[in-house]
Amino acid sequence: MCGVNGIFAYHPAANAPDKAELLATRDAMRARGPDGSGLWWSFDRRCGLGHRRLSILDLSDRASQPMVSADGKLVITFNGEIYNYSALRAELEAAGARFRTTSDTEALLHLYARHGVAMVHRLRGMFAFAIWDEIRRELFLARDPYGIKPLYTANDGWTFRFASQVKALLAGGRISHDAEPAGIAGFHLFGSVPEPFTLYRDIRALPAGHTQRVDAGGARQPVPFTKLAAILAEGAAHPAPVAELRERLRAAALDSVRAHLLADVEVGIFLSAGVDSGALLGLMRDAGQHATRAITLGFEEFCGTAEDEPPLAAQVAERYGARHITRRVSEREFRVDLPAIIEAMDQPSIDGVNTWFVAKAAKEAGLKVALSGLGGDELLAGYPSFMDLPHWRRTFGPIAAIPGLGRGARSLIRTLAPRFAQEMPKALGLLEYPRNWAGAYLLRRGLFLPYELNEAMDPDLARAGLRRLKPLRRLAENLSPDPGSNVGRVCVLESAHYMRNQLLRDADWAGMAHGVEIRVPLVDVTLLKTLAPAIPRLGPRMGKEALANAPTVSLPAEIVAREKTGFGVPIGAWMNSTAREAVFVEGGRPVESKGLMSRRWSRTVLHSFAKVGWA
Amino acid sequence: MNADRSVLALVTDAFGGYGGIAQYNRDFLNALTENRAASSITVLPRHAPERIAPPAAINQARARPRRLAYSAIALMIAFRHRVDIVFCGHLYMVPLAWLIARLKGARLVVQMHGIEAWPPPPHLQRIATEAADLVLCVSRYTRACVVGWAAIAPERVVVVPNTVTDIFIPGDGQELRAAWGIQGKRVLLTVGRMASCERYKGHDQVIAGIPDLVRRGHDVVYVIIGEGDDRARLEEIAREIGVAERVRFLGAVDQQCLVAAYRMADLFVMPSAGEGFGIAYLEAMACGTPALGLDAGGARDALADGELGAVVSETELVTAITRLLVAPRRDPAELSHALRARFGREIFRACVGMALAEY
Repeated sequence: MCGVNGIFAYHPAANAPDKAELLATRDAMRARGPDGSGLWWSFDRRCGLGHRRLSILDLSDRASQPMVSADGKLVITFNGEIYNYSALRAELEAAGARFRTTSDTEALLHLYARHGVAMVHRLRGMFAFAIWDEIRRELFLARDPYGIKPLYTANDGWTFRFASQVKALLAGGRISHDAEPAGIAGFHLFGSVPEPFTLYRDIRALPAGHTQRVDAGGARQPVPFTKLAAILAEGAAHPAPVAELRERLRAAALDSVRAHLLADVEVGIFLSAGVDSGALLGLMRDAGQHATRAITLGFEEFCGTAEDEPPLAAQVAERYGARHITRRVSEREFRVDLPAIIEAMDQPSIDGVNTWFVAKAAKEAGLKVALSGLGGDELLAGYPSFMDLPHWRRTFGPIAAIPGLGRGARSLIRTLAPRFAQEMPKALGLLEYPRNWAGAYLLRRGLFLPYELNEAMDPDLARAGLRRLKPLRRLAENLSPDPGSNVGRVCVLESAHYMRNQLLRDADWAGMAHGVEIRVPLVDVTLLKTLAPAIPRLGPRMGKEALANAPTVSLPAEIVAREKTGFGVPIGAWMNSTAREAVFVEGGRPVESKGLMSRRWSRTVLHSFAKVGWA
Repeated sequence: MNADRSVLALVTDAFGGYGGIAQYNRDFLNALTENRAASSITVLPRHAPERIAPPAAINQARARPRRLAYSAIALMIAFRHRVDIVFCGHLYMVPLAWLIARLKGARLVVQMHGIEAWPPPPHLQRIATEAADLVLCVSRYTRACVVGWAAIAPERVVVVPNTVTDIFIPGDGQELRAAWGIQGKRVLLTVGRMASCERYKGHDQVIAGIPDLVRRGHDVVYVIIGEGDDRARLEEIAREIGVAERVRFLGAVDQQCLVAAYRMADLFVMPSAGEGFGIAYLEAMACGTPALGLDAGGARDALADGELGAVVSETELVTAITRLLVAPRRDPAELSHALRARFGREIFRACVGMALAEY
């Protein structure tokens, strides 16, 4: 976890970049990189790069950034980890490259020097970086295929700026705060801001799995280099027998965990009572790491109930010889931390509070790096959506395909049963949206649905937002080429949307706020490529059972059998009791559905962003 | 851009037209030929009041002021000739340009200038713009507006600012002062149309500030070059506040006189809130005369955010004029050089080449 930024005044008419702006943007990311900072200027001062460092690989000053190549022709500012660094280094050295450090950053410089922009195909890991090419006089930016690391850009037509955070770009003081209707509408639709949009018209995310060049002619169109749908389509074209799943997963997950342990500092783990993190802990032991520190969150409200995770997590920790840390979080602490949580949120999100506290606990324990089981549900069909979407497509798809019928039915139900329409707003979309996979997914994941936006936000803004966002088209684009199976389609939709825009963004800002790098071994293209042939035939629970058995010593049976609890209460209830609007509480529990509570919380979050100058 | 390309340019005016848009179109089309970016260029103007001979590589068809005839001729040219790129010189013509580009399978390049592109346009113009392969804007402000109303990838919206011709260079302006009888005066100059529909130019603000400037000890004369139906109103304002003898309305002048006027002025001032770019600022500074404009619209670009000329708010206008009149004047040659380093013809040509490099 580091912070990168830069300014390139590419147009001859542009003023030279301002050092104060470069510093202000860089230092707004102090939490991302508390261990050091660096600044670099091109000879003509038309390009400046900044970096804030969290030292994890090669802790020496030699590995400081921005890093200049030995011949002075290339300069890099890099955020992330390259897990196949050792193999790359060996290959590069065999080809004649001479390394001055043991950092993966230097490997990127050598790779670019040899392979140019095609270098990205060689990388395994999470990354967002910019390389200044002094000979070509151009910037080259790249972001990892899943979008684990963030990278935001702003181009005013004369000057190009980039940074790891939206708020850092704004802190530079030169970028307009004008609202982006698509970002606001997207937040209402999904509970997070869908990339490439942000809340601000002039700031965009470099899309995941894309590269971008910026030269004297300006910022060129981002170019994709990896597509999740293509990987799954390739797998579906060469399907593997179901019997192979367990062995494929065992080998590939172990390989991924081993790769993700690459560090010169201790690597811990966020341990819940679920399969994903438990299996990762077992695989960490198989990979040779013992006495891992494992952190579990506990809530006083859950003590003695089935939802209390620490007892089960302690069993898992004991099984794998880990040092278990239980961190109890109270509603009082949540209320005290809430302003800091909102402040740390780079873009509004209705989630991420759990990650905030577990990262906080990691920092308290002195950890800089922790593995997380994030991504297991997307990869191994763990969400209910893997059953719901195919079911909805089968049952309601043919009806929804009749033009106008769904919309008509919605109007009719609103008139005849207004109470039902109010309490079950998304149910009204069942005859309208499952006409295609994108629609079914929007119905499943939507916080609000497009037809409700006029009630959630200014109608003109909503109209403009939907026109610019094109949510269904954007979701459908992720499904090209066709992943070849129902499981594959849902896997892509969940990975390229919910996980990318919500879970990974939350992991980034919440981890960053505490200077903790969160690594996600189940979000790994190499792992996906190995499993892709088996994914089309994944049945309910099959993937999770296979993962539970991936470690040499399997997870306890009660972990596998345990129903998925996920995020909701008590933090969900706390959030809603903190929301701006009244909450209906009965017997200490909110009586509204989780969806309606999330809507209430979303308005509170967005309001807090509006207060600090957006729109 | 591939050199073996045929370009059809749909423009309001180009070789034979007044004002910034005609000048820009000429500069742009000349840059295409100088860059050898196209094998043939056919220009269809709506107007060509005083025809200027285009370069040999450019063929300008007869002007067609009527919309229907213009559209028919444009379609006819498109069907008779090969068209690889349709260059649309004005937002109003985008639907026609889009149609031709679709029919011919050609690339569409749209040029945006100033206030016409700032508010969201009608539906058809908007969706045609969104279909463009490349949108060129004269300023960052115009670009921001276009990116705001068009659902288009921001990378396809590129700034290519105005440029300035080589005749605008520093020189002696005393002769003109003598001819106009304003030796020893502090001369403020504005060059721009005085149209009742373009009152944002700010002539009236300068006139209103004259009494204050005089009170502060500046023996000012305000010279206005340009014509328009708002002139009578401005003359009336000058009379009402008792500064009529200090305001000279010179109407339209030839280019030689214009250059001399820039040179003799102490300060070029145009507090316009609606400039797409403001080519007059460039011309003034290219002649070595300091320029002042408002922190609004595209003027910021011409004044380089205050590094070339002064950028002020409306309320600071008189104070800023006073400050610039008493401050030591920047060396004219140095100012002109700095201006050309950002907006000179070579720079413009390179910008056009880079913008079109991938098309």
